[in-house]
Amino acid sequence: MSEHAAAEFAQLKSLDHLASVAVALESNGIRAFVVPSGAEARSLVGSLIPRGSEVFNNTSRTLESIGVADDIERSGRYEPLRLRLFQMDREMQAREMRILAAAPEYVVGSVHAVTETGSLLVASASGSQLGPIVSGAEHAILVIGGQKIVPDLDAGIRRLYEYSLPLEDRRAREAYGVSSGVNNILVMNRVVAPNRVTAILVHEVLGF
Amino acid sequence: VSLFDYDTRPATPGVVLVDTAMSSAAYRIRDFLSRNSYQYEWVDAGDTERVRAVLGTAEPDAASLPICILPDGTKLSPATLEEVAAGLGMVSGPARPEYDLTIVGAGPAGLAAAVYAASEGLRTAVVEAVAPGGQAGTTSMIENYLGFPNGISGSELATRAVAQARRFGAELLLARPLVGISREDARYRAELSDGTEVLGRTLLLASGVEWRRLEVPGIDELLGAGVYYGAGPSEALGCTQSQVVVVGGGNSAGQAVVRFARYAAQVTLLVRGTDLAASMSKYLIDAITAIANVEVRTGTQVTGVKADGRLQEVALSSSDGSSASLRADALFICIGGEPRTDAVRGTGLAIDDAGYVLTGGDLTSLARLDGWGLPRQPLPLETNLPGLFAAGDVRRGSTKRCAAAVGEGSMSVALVHQRLAELGGE
Repeated sequence: MSEHAAAEFAQLKSLDHLASVAVALESNGIRAFVVPSGAEARSLVGSLIPRGSEVFNNTSRTLESIGVADDIERSGRYEPLRLRLFQMDREMQAREMRILAAAPEYVVGSVHAVTETGSLLVASASGSQLGPIVSGAEHAILVIGGQKIVPDLDAGIRRLYEYSLPLEDRRAREAYGVSSGVNNILVMNRVVAPNRVTAILVHEVLGF
Repeated sequence: VSLFDYDTRPATPGVVLVDTAMSSAAYRIRDFLSRNSYQYEWVDAGDTERVRAVLGTAEPDAASLPICILPDGTKLSPATLEEVAAGLGMVSGPARPEYDLTIVGAGPAGLAAAVYAASEGLRTAVVEAVAPGGQAGTTSMIENYLGFPNGISGSELATRAVAQARRFGAELLLARPLVGISREDARYRAELSDGTEVLGRTLLLASGVEWRRLEVPGIDELLGAGVYYGAGPSEALGCTQSQVVVVGGGNSAGQAVVRFARYAAQVTLLVRGTDLAASMSKYLIDAITAIANVEVRTGTQVTGVKADGRLQEVALSSSDGSSASLRADALFICIGGEPRTDAVRGTGLAIDDAGYVLTGGDLTSLARLDGWGLPRQPLPLETNLPGLFAAGDVRRGSTKRCAAAVGEGSMSVALVHQRLAELGGE
């Protein structure tokens, strides 16, 4: 990654800046919260998801670093879909796995960029994260580090390629032994169903 | 492995288990974890690099095995199944002092009863020795279960049933076997191995069957080291490119063959009888016949095993008098069941010579109603002890199929209602 990319895309924005982005998100139909820390984001996520819900946590450094992945998979409060999918037979139950993963009650994840005009951008190598966020899941909750704000869509797309991809690629090589890629991009400009998508802007550097 | 697979891998650490492939203690823990859908990483004690990575030392003391590291970092050494279950928070006590219905066994019959009873407002507790699902829980794909045209695995069916039962308010007490039942007025007190007691106004015995032991010298010592009862999913990946032998002529044996054939180089099914059609569903026979790396040998029995710490070969004899030996990396024994009624011996519960529980009309026709004491006859699934019912494989005369067990479990709840009305009170 170039020094230029790190300087442009890794800087934490001010609380005021986060608050103005929250207003823009709300005006696009995306419920938005601003919280001061990862710990606050974690408890907010906990209060947004009813006990016993079927929850899919997307692969996300943000969720892992603030303990949300652990809450979903290990707290016993929810029906964690990843653990269930992990046990299923990759060949004989492939169709059942796709159906389950495509339409959870709650999907919890992050984004790679959020614009000052209130658009969300997510890149995915396999694309499996995108469907549930767009429409498959009943609710989507996205936890977003305060360094991911960019002025507009052009800058957002550049952030995916120049900043997020090198970091994600390194993680994928270490974790799975395969490279990553910006194979699919979701741009969410407006959400029609009220309260279906929630963005939590965190005043802390989180994730890629 | 697809990218989709990476996206569905648990993001948080599971359990790490270190031991040798010959350890039957580790096998019990592996089987328990996989049957409870718990993710774990298996580290062979001989793999010094991985052992050092997870333990910090390359050569653990043999007496310290199996070593189990829980997600919170707790290290159990040597680990027991009971400690692992407790450490994972899977062991809880009953929330109520008394239940309308205590169900013993969380297989298809017990879970069906739990769903119906709890959905109708009965205070319901289920006790289960190992994991939900029962014998069907280890089945790779049940293709003739109503409502699932593409088939459903036994573990997935159990997962759904448990979620459904809990949603209606049923309590599940897992990982401890029943050790005894006693009467208390008209009620039944169930005692579990850790001393937990569950008091119920009625009780349903749905404890099912355990695998019948194969009476062959030397086989008990190899349990977990190449010899397995049932076809636990924990061993499927370990069978990659190996020689697998399955013993049995029923649907469980057929399911095991279909599962292992996808991993193993060769699967041999040994059937004592001469005709598979007498004991196995046609869809499974068709499936097995169509798989290239499966051989079926009818009229054949296992007479011995050869091992070097792990299973190496099985000795066979055929009904025509010939004998042979067969290389075997793994032997899965699926030869029908023995009813699980040990814990209820001594209660006066009427069972037949094979150990199956007598219910309803069987009690009258076999004159086993001494001391019954009620002006009515036993209800259809009721035993000779009023208010104690039996359903599923443990019951004499039951059809040994998953759907039949679900039917009996569901039906038992209507009978439980009749008994509760008879008892009166709240």
